[in-house]
Amino acid sequence: MQSSNLPTIFSITESEIDLNNLVAQITLTSTGAAAIFTGMVRGVTSRGDEHETEYLEYEAYIPMAEEKMKQVADEIREKWPVIEGIAIVQRIGKLYPKTPTVLIACTAAHRDTGVFDAARYGIDRLKEIVPVWKKEVGPNGEEWIEGDYIPKAGE
Amino acid sequence: MAVNLVMYIMNKIKLLFFATIRDRAGVKSLELDIPAEMTVKDLKDKLSTDYPGLKDSMKSVLVAINHEYAFDEAIVPQDAEIGMFPPVSGG
Repeated sequence: MQSSNLPTIFSITESEIDLNNLVAQITLTSTGAAAIFTGMVRGVTSRGDEHETEYLEYEAYIPMAEEKMKQVADEIREKWPVIEGIAIVQRIGKLYPKTPTVLIACTAAHRDTGVFDAARYGIDRLKEIVPVWKKEVGPNGEEWIEGDYIPKAGE
Repeated sequence: MAVNLVMYIMNKIKLLFFATIRDRAGVKSLELDIPAEMTVKDLKDKLSTDYPGLKDSMKSVLVAINHEYAFDEAIVPQDAEIGMFPPVSGG
């Protein structure tokens, strides 16, 4: 099947992430497996710098972020041509602990096709090149979280 | 003669700031007239001079021209939309 006919969803949203709806949209009659990664706001961090989080405030450079999400999806299809559907969604705004903030889902005919790796690649890549930032607000004040990846030419 | 004229045309660009860069700039966006053929490096130097609050940020800022990452030697195209922001931290 041509990849242009395969479902690819990418969006920045202020609305709740609807997992069931997204997975339904990337499920074909030939699909037998979906690998889904979702990240949520962690209220209590114990690894590394132990601290508590009241909420995270996300912002995005929306048109560029959606273009870069499309690029991540294209990279996934290039590396794992067997992937059928891809959904990449980042929620923005003020988000409280336990709230899902991001979703990457990939579907394929079977689970042993690289579908887990594809979803893992998707979230790792999103955290490198998709222009979204979060400000962490906790009992001791607020702080912008900055990543450490410097994109290269052509990314 | 047309070739010479190009040198005098100013380029109207739109700058968009995000996250820490916006906080330091104190504004979300700016419209600027810059000389044609200015590079990203020239633009960063200009902003460091004109907006002292941005001086430190300009050393590590990421720059996007029309939604694509751009680097110091790139020429800022006509009517460009320039995004300036720290390394991303989504997810």
